[in-house]
Amino acid sequence: MESIIYYISKQLSKRGIDDVVVTSSEMEGKHLKFVNNKVVKTGSELTSSISIFCSKDKKIIYTSLKDMSKSKADELMKKIMEFSRDIQPNEDYYGIAKGPFRYKAKVDYDRGIMDMNESDILEKGINKALESSKRTTGDFEILHLKTHLVTSGSVDVLDHSSSLYFSIRAFNKKDESGHMTCCSNTLKNFQIEKTSERAAEIAVLAKAPKEVKSGRYPVIFSHMAFAPLLNNISEAASIYNVESGFSFLKRLNGRYGNFTLMDDGTLPDGFNSCRFDEEGVPTKRTVMVDRGILKTYLHNASTARKYRTETTANAGLISPRPFNIVFDCKKGDIFDVKEGIYITNVWYTRFQNYAEGDFSTIPRDGAFLVKNGKIVQSLKGLRISDNMLNLLRNIKCCSKDVLQIKSWEAEIPAFTPEVLVDDINITKAEH
Amino acid sequence: MHEEIAEFSLKKAQELGCRYVEVRVEERSSNGFVLKNGNPDISGFDMISGIGIRYLINNNLGFVSTNNFDREKISQILRRSVSTTRNSSRISKDVCFSDEKKEAARYKVAQREKIQDFTGDKKLNILKEIDGGIKKLPQRYLTLHDEIAEKYYLNSEGSRVYSFIPKISLMYFLTISESKKSIQRYMSHGSSSGYEIIKKWNLIEKIPEEAEILKDNLVNGIKSPKGDMDLVIGSEVAGIAVHESVGHPYETDRILGREAAQAGESFITNKMLNTKIGSKIVNVIEDPTLENSYGFYLYDDEGVKARKKYLIKNGMVNEFLHNRETAFEMNTHSNGCSRANNYDVEPLIRMSNTYVKSGDSSEDEIIRETKKGIYMKSYMQWNIDDKRYHQRYTGGEAYMIEKGELTRPVIAPVMEVKTPTLWSSIDMIGNKIEMYAGNCGKGNPMQGIPVYFGGPVMRLKNIMVK
Repeated sequence: MESIIYYISKQLSKRGIDDVVVTSSEMEGKHLKFVNNKVVKTGSELTSSISIFCSKDKKIIYTSLKDMSKSKADELMKKIMEFSRDIQPNEDYYGIAKGPFRYKAKVDYDRGIMDMNESDILEKGINKALESSKRTTGDFEILHLKTHLVTSGSVDVLDHSSSLYFSIRAFNKKDESGHMTCCSNTLKNFQIEKTSERAAEIAVLAKAPKEVKSGRYPVIFSHMAFAPLLNNISEAASIYNVESGFSFLKRLNGRYGNFTLMDDGTLPDGFNSCRFDEEGVPTKRTVMVDRGILKTYLHNASTARKYRTETTANAGLISPRPFNIVFDCKKGDIFDVKEGIYITNVWYTRFQNYAEGDFSTIPRDGAFLVKNGKIVQSLKGLRISDNMLNLLRNIKCCSKDVLQIKSWEAEIPAFTPEVLVDDINITKAEH
Repeated sequence: MHEEIAEFSLKKAQELGCRYVEVRVEERSSNGFVLKNGNPDISGFDMISGIGIRYLINNNLGFVSTNNFDREKISQILRRSVSTTRNSSRISKDVCFSDEKKEAARYKVAQREKIQDFTGDKKLNILKEIDGGIKKLPQRYLTLHDEIAEKYYLNSEGSRVYSFIPKISLMYFLTISESKKSIQRYMSHGSSSGYEIIKKWNLIEKIPEEAEILKDNLVNGIKSPKGDMDLVIGSEVAGIAVHESVGHPYETDRILGREAAQAGESFITNKMLNTKIGSKIVNVIEDPTLENSYGFYLYDDEGVKARKKYLIKNGMVNEFLHNRETAFEMNTHSNGCSRANNYDVEPLIRMSNTYVKSGDSSEDEIIRETKKGIYMKSYMQWNIDDKRYHQRYTGGEAYMIEKGELTRPVIAPVMEVKTPTLWSSIDMIGNKIEMYAGNCGKGNPMQGIPVYFGGPVMRLKNIMVK
């Protein structure tokens, strides 16, 4: 595999391709899916692949190779050359990053995760939740990945990563559930029992939910509930999404509230941390929003050249993307509300208009009416129907405790506190 | 196709003690194009092949996949996978499959204008021609994707099924602005066919027309009235509603809780079969065998023959969507709904082509017989809770209906309604069906799978509009 990526890189350059980025990945994974406290499927995966990005006279081609033989690589390169004659140039393309680079970030790595007894670990997680809930459902994933990146911009870099992910939803009676996830690059930082305990705790609190009256409320977002929204906000900071109409963050240097939003691919325990981005630029911490002011969009080398700025090391060769989101704002008592709603999870966030920020999302699992700082009633059947710019403007304060959240709704890991947001529109289906 | 490797893998799994084994070998070749604001952003092609093996050992279910076709490598990862399944057996559920007929079939979807014969330039020009008619819009994002999926399925009960399915899909996302206001339009079209479908879609004419209508709506639309009123919904809205609030809750893996941690459960229970869920004129059909449909297949990924099903018949819950595992648990037979979006993931219960059966009324008659209400012809946004009970649809193209006529455009009317209310309030159904394409997400890892949904224009009597 090593020799094939050098071969492809050299051969494509020889054949007149201007920019070449070749990435090989070898992935080994295990997956246990559990339903009603029992494992219903074990999964194993072994995949090797080489992805190839190249440009010829500004014509951009993306493809991959799954059969690692030299003859298949030759066939593929022949097709790339034919394909490049057939397509048209991207006038907005300004080339890949030029190296070589020095890589400083040290990301946590656990070589032993593939050999551990995953059933024993999962059993502990399930049993912990069953101490206070009746049934549990979820997933446990273990992954090992080796990535090797070679580019025509003098980049040749290798990385190993390991990851563990656990998602558990605990149930008691009808409509009484709690959901929590945890993720880590190492077994020692993987808090499966604590995660299960939290899911079950929410399920217990969610006892006998009632419908809430529609209206505007202060809303306290738990870690799980805020992470999906941070995904939406950070994706809106990708210059690609701004250009395409998928972003409500349209005013660079404009004020959006009073919070700080960063991307950081260098965090040792960041689930998506990596020493380099997709074109080999060393990752770094980028402050996207500094105390409310949008300081930069996320860029790769090409988009940065277009806008006469520096890359933020967020390639995505086509669309810049965040690695790990980090959120911060004024610390305070998030439960300091006269009458508000505490939401522990959201689901199915959809935009009516990305450019304006109009969206709605559905709280799921435990949601609670809070009066004078105390949870007084479990809720169901509610929906947030509001505008993302309003939400950002109305962020009041956050808790001190920060958790790293990755979930089905938050694919980009987010380091987030719990957050109090004022004046959120709550709607529901009346009939 | 690596058919001999599939046979080898099946035997190897049996040698390791697996009571039941099924193998899918897949080869997918695809091309993709993105045109962003008139600029060819990226073009790509891909060839993916791999093998997925699902097995039962001591009644525990295991799945393993790889794109390495070396026999020794396959043997090695099968041994490792079986060992993982055995290790977890003390905390595993016993899984059984319903008895199903052994199938042997080979089928191909014909292409008149073959994907293989179209050059990249020709494909990109399809997007450019469409873009040519909407250049005035500030932001246009268009994608074209084609794929040929060859699949060979076999199981230890003797089934052998080969399929060859070409698919084309085209998506557009437009931002229409006027006087600091904007409206956005997202739509996708899809088909199991060759490129002959492009002419049939006629998007070169339709998309600029849609953009003009939405601009008029933005400029001249009035604020939506609120309260209970008659709401006429277009095929597009009927389609998303039937997919979200009938198709999904009828998936038995949801009903039995198997997808609870991610895609959710269902408000429907097994006891609700043959009970009333909608008005008498409502019939909902799920049919993978519709020719050239985006969700087309003839045999599912458990080798079960696909067939047309009535999910709702004359307003009654009639049939659920099953795979072999849920069919066994509910003491019935699979109706062929098990699909995986690639060789490397397990098959799940999925919809294919889901629609409301047509009724007797024309669109004109439905409007004419509505004294006061709203016609929500298309939608901009929707969502539904994870039990598929509380849903919301925000109108895109929408009009007031006054004295049986469409009058002024309406901006973003909202229907936020419970599922039984929605399907029980239908009192008129149109006689013409339109279908729309989508990629439906489910499972972990997430599987986006091609689906098709639609229906006729329908009237909902006395529904709350916001």
